[in-house]
Amino acid sequence: MWLQGGVDDAERLDLDATRAVLRRTARRLRPYRADAWRAFGLLVLWTGTVVAGPVLVGWAVDVGIRPRDGRALTAIVVGYLIVASAGYVLYRWAVVSLARVGENFLRDLRVGVFDRLVRQSMAFHDRNRPGVLVSRMTSDIDSLGELVQFGLLMFTAAALQLIGTIIVLTMLSPMMMLVCLISVPVVAVASRKFQRDSNRAYLAVRDHIGDTLSALQEGISGVRIVQAFAREELEAERFARTNDELYRSHMASVKVAAWYLPVIDMAGTLTTAAAIALGGYLAADGDPSIGTVVAFILLLQRVFEPVQQLSQLFNLVQSATASLSKVFGLLDEEVDIDEPEAPRPLPATGDLELEGVRFAYGDGPDVVADVDLRIADGERIAFVGPTGAGKSTVAKLVARFYDPTGGVVRFGGVDLRDASPAEIRRRVLVVPQEGHLFAGSIGDNIAMASPGAGDDEVWAALRAIGAADRFAAFPDGLATELVDGGGRLSAGERQLVSLARAALADPAVLVLDEATSSLDPAAEHEVEDALEALMAGRTVVVIAHRLSTSERSDRVAVIADGGIAELGTHDDLVAAGGRYAAMFETWSRAGVS
Amino acid sequence: MTTGAASETTTPVEHRGWRLLRRALLEQRRGIAFGVAASLVWTAARVAVPRLVQLAIDRSITGDERAWPYAVAVAVAGAVSGVFLGIRRYVAFDNARRVEARYRSRLFAHLQRLHVAFHDVTATGELMSRANTDLQMFQNVVTMVPITVGNALIVLGAVAIMLTISPMLTIVAVAGLPIVNVVGRRFSQKLHPAVMGVQRESAELAGVVEETVSGIRAVKGFGAEDVQRAKLATEADDVRREALRAAHVRARYLPLVELMPNLGLVAVLAYGGWLVIDGGLSVGELVGFNLYVAMLIQPLRMLGMVIAQGQRAVAAGERIAEVLDTDPAITDPARPVALPAHRPGQTGGLRFDGVVFGYRTDAHDPAAPPVLEELDLEIAPGESVALVGPTGCGKSTVARLLPRFYDVEAGSIELDGTDLRHLRLADLRRAVGLVFQETFLFSGSIRDNIGFADPDAPDERIRRAARLAGALDFIEALPAGFDTELGERGLSLSGGQRQRLAIARALVADPRVLLLDDATSAVDPDTEHEIREAMNEVMAGRTTIVIAHRPATIALADRVVVLDEGRIVATGTHAELLASNERYRAILATEAVA
Repeated sequence: MWLQGGVDDAERLDLDATRAVLRRTARRLRPYRADAWRAFGLLVLWTGTVVAGPVLVGWAVDVGIRPRDGRALTAIVVGYLIVASAGYVLYRWAVVSLARVGENFLRDLRVGVFDRLVRQSMAFHDRNRPGVLVSRMTSDIDSLGELVQFGLLMFTAAALQLIGTIIVLTMLSPMMMLVCLISVPVVAVASRKFQRDSNRAYLAVRDHIGDTLSALQEGISGVRIVQAFAREELEAERFARTNDELYRSHMASVKVAAWYLPVIDMAGTLTTAAAIALGGYLAADGDPSIGTVVAFILLLQRVFEPVQQLSQLFNLVQSATASLSKVFGLLDEEVDIDEPEAPRPLPATGDLELEGVRFAYGDGPDVVADVDLRIADGERIAFVGPTGAGKSTVAKLVARFYDPTGGVVRFGGVDLRDASPAEIRRRVLVVPQEGHLFAGSIGDNIAMASPGAGDDEVWAALRAIGAADRFAAFPDGLATELVDGGGRLSAGERQLVSLARAALADPAVLVLDEATSSLDPAAEHEVEDALEALMAGRTVVVIAHRLSTSERSDRVAVIADGGIAELGTHDDLVAAGGRYAAMFETWSRAGVS
Repeated sequence: MTTGAASETTTPVEHRGWRLLRRALLEQRRGIAFGVAASLVWTAARVAVPRLVQLAIDRSITGDERAWPYAVAVAVAGAVSGVFLGIRRYVAFDNARRVEARYRSRLFAHLQRLHVAFHDVTATGELMSRANTDLQMFQNVVTMVPITVGNALIVLGAVAIMLTISPMLTIVAVAGLPIVNVVGRRFSQKLHPAVMGVQRESAELAGVVEETVSGIRAVKGFGAEDVQRAKLATEADDVRREALRAAHVRARYLPLVELMPNLGLVAVLAYGGWLVIDGGLSVGELVGFNLYVAMLIQPLRMLGMVIAQGQRAVAAGERIAEVLDTDPAITDPARPVALPAHRPGQTGGLRFDGVVFGYRTDAHDPAAPPVLEELDLEIAPGESVALVGPTGCGKSTVARLLPRFYDVEAGSIELDGTDLRHLRLADLRRAVGLVFQETFLFSGSIRDNIGFADPDAPDERIRRAARLAGALDFIEALPAGFDTELGERGLSLSGGQRQRLAIARALVADPRVLLLDDATSAVDPDTEHEIREAMNEVMAGRTTIVIAHRPATIALADRVVVLDEGRIVATGTHAELLASNERYRAILATEAVA
């Protein structure tokens, strides 16, 4: 999560974009507006109790202490006690209300963004790097969490306290307030500059943290290579340089705060000094009263703390806005494969037809062009060809991972675009043979394609591919928990889980992406058998990397340069002496025979 | 992700945390002394302000002296306090960031030198968190030193002045304040587990996102979108629950921290007001008390937190020290022997003599059987040998012993007549070129990656290595050629291209022994074919060990050695073994078609 480090210009939002983000946030907050307004109301009342303290002290000086009126003093003390206690209750309640609003907002955002992510087409996922998508859901939303957990409360409280104090100061003595205004330009200019500089410094620090952590990770996970080539010292030096840059960027950001905070602090005392000078001059005439001057001086101590807090929080708010706008950006991405209004039902089985199919990513050149192919129900066809020639793209079009940019793909005579995605998934299943596993038990992993399937069905599926014994031998059987992508299973077992998953889902068409890495021979054998059992009686489209696979298929399609170069049975193609024959030649020479 | 086996060990480790902290502070002592000095000046100026305000009220506002001298005095004290506030802050952070940077570089350099067996049992993420999260906590405490000294002095100074004015009122005013300190500490203690809970649940949520996005082909291929959606909703609910739990902790303590000083102010007004009425106190002194009480809140709150943070820093220090105190197990010999100069075809002879080795990393199973048992094998200079055998037979272990990633338990391995343990590590590793199945390339240009073993290699050497590895054509076809950047933000290459770069990297230093560990099993047959084409020239005049399953690759070698359960069961040429050896045929059987 720390590798996303890079900060682009998009993060520096202009005012309009910020406003748009805020409006949109407000809309998403609507379900929780009762809590939100309550929290705000409570904080306004709480601000009242905060500002009331110095005013009460000033008042006590005027009506209780100086006139030596003990009863008045007692009354005010009791009032102060009540106000302070009320402040406690109000603040506590406000914290809870505000947290509820914020956490509900975040929860909805997480669920909403994830929903968008899984609904997006494969084309979208091919375009976007997984790391970036994951960081939207994690570091970006987590950084909002920081804001929600304390920033929002502090920000609102500080803003209200600032406004409340200024109002009360003005009411106490407009004349003295006027003199205090001398500090406003200094504070305003300093705060503005601080915000700008500190934001820049903060972004730089983030960049450098990202760089340092990347370098760190690279050095640790590549340590065997580093040692194998005796590069330990050079790598340590290289890292130290990156690390020193991080130190320098940290210090640049410290410098920004190191002059700003003193300026605000000095403005505070300077204003107090001005209040003393003017108060001493005016109070001699009895207007304002001594109590008022006292309240004024006490209140002044509370003006500058919120200013400081606001300036510091401003960066947090700004980076949260940037994160939000990135997250909203993801929500705005249109889903380019969508449910048709009135989906046409698909027959249980049928032929697959590709007619004049072409496909391009975005505005790019066609990666697949003019593909015409009819795959009969129950036929087994192998796609072969060099990497990048388009064989997996054609396979993905068959499963409607993408929609073709031209032409049409039909199953049983129905254009796939007219069918519901869920139903296509029940008919046409794509099985990445390398077997991606998810956290959960082995049973969960097999049943994931058929929610509601019980252990009996899972065992039946395992038996169908001849792998039941293998998993029955596990002490916890199907309940064996997989952590970290199934590290406890061997590569062969992972592939078996993936095949059992497909057997349980029982599709009419199987699109199989053959594993490129080889297993050890015994496991290879077991997987081959399971695959054979799974393919029996189904239409199979296999992206083949091995000759043995294409040899055993009914027909072979050689895909080159985005089109079908050759099509026919293995024997015919070998006899024809074209590309396939040449590939066969190389492959068999490589073998033992 | 933060802790692991590291935090389980107990007492002696704790001393390490303190020792590391003491050492870090000593190394930074001048900066810290400077920060403490700045804190002293800041404290003096800051404590003076309320006193000056009090005098102003008593002598000028309620008295008849002129106001402006007092105003000037307040302004001057404020200016001094402001300037030193800035200096203190800068110095405090500078100290901490220096310590952080210093220790991160040290950790990294140390990790680069630590033996492979250490890295085998320690997850990358765990080491990352030592050099990141733990170090953050550790440096935090360095920042706190001058700030804490300043805070403590503020408390002492303010209380001392208050006592000179009215001891009784001082007691009334500050009696409740230590509670702020206690509450602050309790708050930290209570909040910490709640925050950890949020982090834990967030990590689980991230896990679901991660597995879904990286396995999107499986999710979509099997139509499992709803299953993943339901998982995510559960995790999102868990995060919310934990976050609200943390919010309730905040709701309980934060208002309390505000309340305690307010009660102090009420008490000051009540008792102080009576004192003024009775003539025992002036109005200015009452105001001064008010200002002092307000001044104490922040330092007391921080002092409460400092203890909790200190404890966490020491715990983090322990985990850092644990890594730094681990000594590299594989090191240069005291009196290294020099290798004879490399002469193609005449150097690079290897001799395995009764080699016994096992991975003794699993603490629960110290009696794990050795992977290699009494292995004897002699490879002539310039010879090429294929190691073949089922998974777990020990062939990859041979590859790892050769660069001394591990040391043998018994027996010896000799390169050109010298025991590997008598050679300087850098000499040995320069003499042995390695290509692994998992190609790991570093961020940087293609040139940097090929020249990894020898950063000063001239361009023609780099080109030659690229050509020998069959990588030159595709590199030159790239727009930026050898300057093409790889990695996170650079170009991503195909498996076959990466593999060829890894071979070029192994060749650049012209090693006398080349070792290809399953280097081609992850690439498709077409690419493997291309790599194989390049191998003949590569192997000429160089001792080569190839570990492979595919017959065509095996056939490249002069001699095949069949390993099973840590022993050699047959040797001979590929053709001989095929003709005579049942076991060999069985091992190759399923590969035969491809």
